[in-house]
Amino acid sequence: MPTSNDDRIRIADAAFPKPFTGGLEFNAPAHGTWNIVHIGFKIPDAHQIYICADNCMRGVVMTAAEMGELSRFSSVILEEDDMVFAGRLEESTLEGVTDVLNLLPEMPPVAIIFPVCVHKFMGCDINFIYDELGKRFPDVKFVRGFMDPVMQKRGTTPDQRLRKAMFDIIPEGKKDGSVTVIGCDMPLSDDNDIKILLEKKGIKIRDEASCKTLEEYYDLGCCDSLVCSYPAGLLGSTALAKRIGKPLTYMPFTFGYDATDEALSKIGATPDPDGRMLCDNAASELKMLLGDNEIAIDYTAVPRPLSLARFLISRGFNVKRIYLDAVDPDEKEDFEWLAANAPDTMLCATMHVKGRRPDRSGSDSKILAIGQKAAWFEGTEFFVNMIEGGGLYGYAGIRAFLRLMEDAFLVPKDTEDIIPRKGLGCACVL
Amino acid sequence: MKKAYKILPVYTGDVSGFASALYELGGMLVIHDPSGCNSTYNTHDEVRWYKQEALIYISGLNDIDAITGNDGKFTADIVRAAEEMKPKFIALANSPLPYLNGTDFKGISKIVEDRTGLPCFYVQTNAMHDYTKGASEAFLAFAKKMLKPADRKIEGGINILGSTPLDHVNTGFVIPEGKTLVSNWAYKTSLEDVMKATQAELNIVVSSTGLAAAEYMKKEFGMPYGLMGSYLDVKREESHNYIVGEPVISGYVASQIKKKYGTDLNVIATTEITDGLLADCDRKCHGEDEIRQALSDADMIIGDPLFELIAPKNAKFVRLPHFAMSGRLYRKEIPDLMRLEDYYNEP
Repeated sequence: MPTSNDDRIRIADAAFPKPFTGGLEFNAPAHGTWNIVHIGFKIPDAHQIYICADNCMRGVVMTAAEMGELSRFSSVILEEDDMVFAGRLEESTLEGVTDVLNLLPEMPPVAIIFPVCVHKFMGCDINFIYDELGKRFPDVKFVRGFMDPVMQKRGTTPDQRLRKAMFDIIPEGKKDGSVTVIGCDMPLSDDNDIKILLEKKGIKIRDEASCKTLEEYYDLGCCDSLVCSYPAGLLGSTALAKRIGKPLTYMPFTFGYDATDEALSKIGATPDPDGRMLCDNAASELKMLLGDNEIAIDYTAVPRPLSLARFLISRGFNVKRIYLDAVDPDEKEDFEWLAANAPDTMLCATMHVKGRRPDRSGSDSKILAIGQKAAWFEGTEFFVNMIEGGGLYGYAGIRAFLRLMEDAFLVPKDTEDIIPRKGLGCACVL
Repeated sequence: MKKAYKILPVYTGDVSGFASALYELGGMLVIHDPSGCNSTYNTHDEVRWYKQEALIYISGLNDIDAITGNDGKFTADIVRAAEEMKPKFIALANSPLPYLNGTDFKGISKIVEDRTGLPCFYVQTNAMHDYTKGASEAFLAFAKKMLKPADRKIEGGINILGSTPLDHVNTGFVIPEGKTLVSNWAYKTSLEDVMKATQAELNIVVSSTGLAAAEYMKKEFGMPYGLMGSYLDVKREESHNYIVGEPVISGYVASQIKKKYGTDLNVIATTEITDGLLADCDRKCHGEDEIRQALSDADMIIGDPLFELIAPKNAKFVRLPHFAMSGRLYRKEIPDLMRLEDYYNEP
């Protein structure tokens, strides 16, 4: 199946897993998803240092500023000279980081260093820099970040690699009977069956997204097993599990009942026997409220947007559009189900040039959006304001999600005020 | 070390300056960049993105295309997008990787122009400069490519050069009696108005971003220019009172304070373009360390609130938020620069 040059395509006609032809890219004004700065600040007491050109620096430093975290962020600016003279890039990086660390009122226990695309293209000797930094600052643990989006089209994204680098400093801990949940930026919700069911069995949960101190962060390795709940965390959590010799279960929030039961049983949790019925009843009630009003879903809201679409469509909801630029290969079964059973569901690109002029001329229906990008493209004030699945999981999570859909349908939000804010769930001084 | 910033943010970068300058002129602006420039710009450096259309895109450059110099994809993507979005012109901007591999933007512009039939020009950026450089280059490149000599002049007609939300998000320029505003380059404006610029008799430069275009129009079309409020005509003495920021705005504010209160302020110019824009008592500083040292003996400082992070504790600090420095942080506090009484008062 060829990729589409248009900004939208029927799912039955869509290529898998990349439905759209690449081209110039638009960026919608919805910024609730986390970037590498937000993610880096999950290590308590860590200081972040970026080494890049002005324009690249602006986005990351202002992210820190809007979080009220400028005191934990420093910059080393690269200029033309750094790219002309042999060895200058290493020198500027090394001496710049050294200067920054020496200027800080207190030496941080952890420093996350972010070289950029230019370092890779200039063949900068990164290992030399870290070796030297290690000698100069033996009490600082250096996390090897990278801000090199030029690599993300064909490989892993900077945020995937950052998570891995952040997990690389977690020491191998003793087994204490606990389970560590790792890789997602959203703290575990009270409506999360991983938490509910394991705690019911007396098993302690450690949640990477909730660490308040560096000690808590280092203790993430003191567990019997690990759970990764978000796709972008899988690379890092797989490497961590291998290094510390503990089993890992990958269980992103899904709306598929069988997948939920299978994942929960893998971690020794017994799913609520009434879970399916309770979810079905909640969905029926919500369907009565929503009627045939249109629903649009985007990929930033939940890690399994196609499983959500399948769940809703199979219960009679009017899901019209799904905003995504690529399909997670793990969603192949849901993609095929939708193509066969809801072939007119439209897949809509978020980065296509036509996104600048979103087509909002459709029906007169009240539109419920799930996710910030869907809210912007649809021009609706009725939307579920969520990223990364909101810390939900399992039947409790699905029911909570349906309640959020109900709230979103009934209570309008100030979309223009909410969605341009960065890092949903992070501190924000705006 | 000039390059190390312990706590201060950098100013808006040159690529964002390019986009801000040409935002309202109906062109398609393409930044040859992997990712990030567009998001940074529309989040932190642009107040219009949510509601007002502008065709600003990145190329989504990947490593292989960068290494192999695959300009064909870049060119084809631009042509395809232009066919779909129907811009009035196309402007291209550079970023570090295409800068490093020496991408021939002028050649690409020529090819795009041939294939689309639209004016296409390159604006010299590389993401390693501040917004004043990028906006200045954008205004200059636009003027060189698009302006034609006027067949008539508008008596008393003036252009405002260098107005973008980065410097003048809330400024309500006051047009002197007997004068007519012909065009505003380029905020709350249109392509049609800007194209009439050569009908004006005088250019007024309201930030350093407008200086290069003013010089060009003087040379090419014989149009004289002046600086906002003729601020350099107001004599100021050496002082330990400082105003920190972009030189034209800082100089203008300092001159207004001198005229109204007799207080001398020296400009600490912290953006790149300063030639011909500073008085003898003023100075240029680059980087957090230099700025901190320049402010170390201050009695009073006027500047963006973020500069208070490096100001001496005993200096009086007067907040004058600047969007190109603090972005959205103090957006609601940014005053109309024409109304001194709204942001500076002495007993």
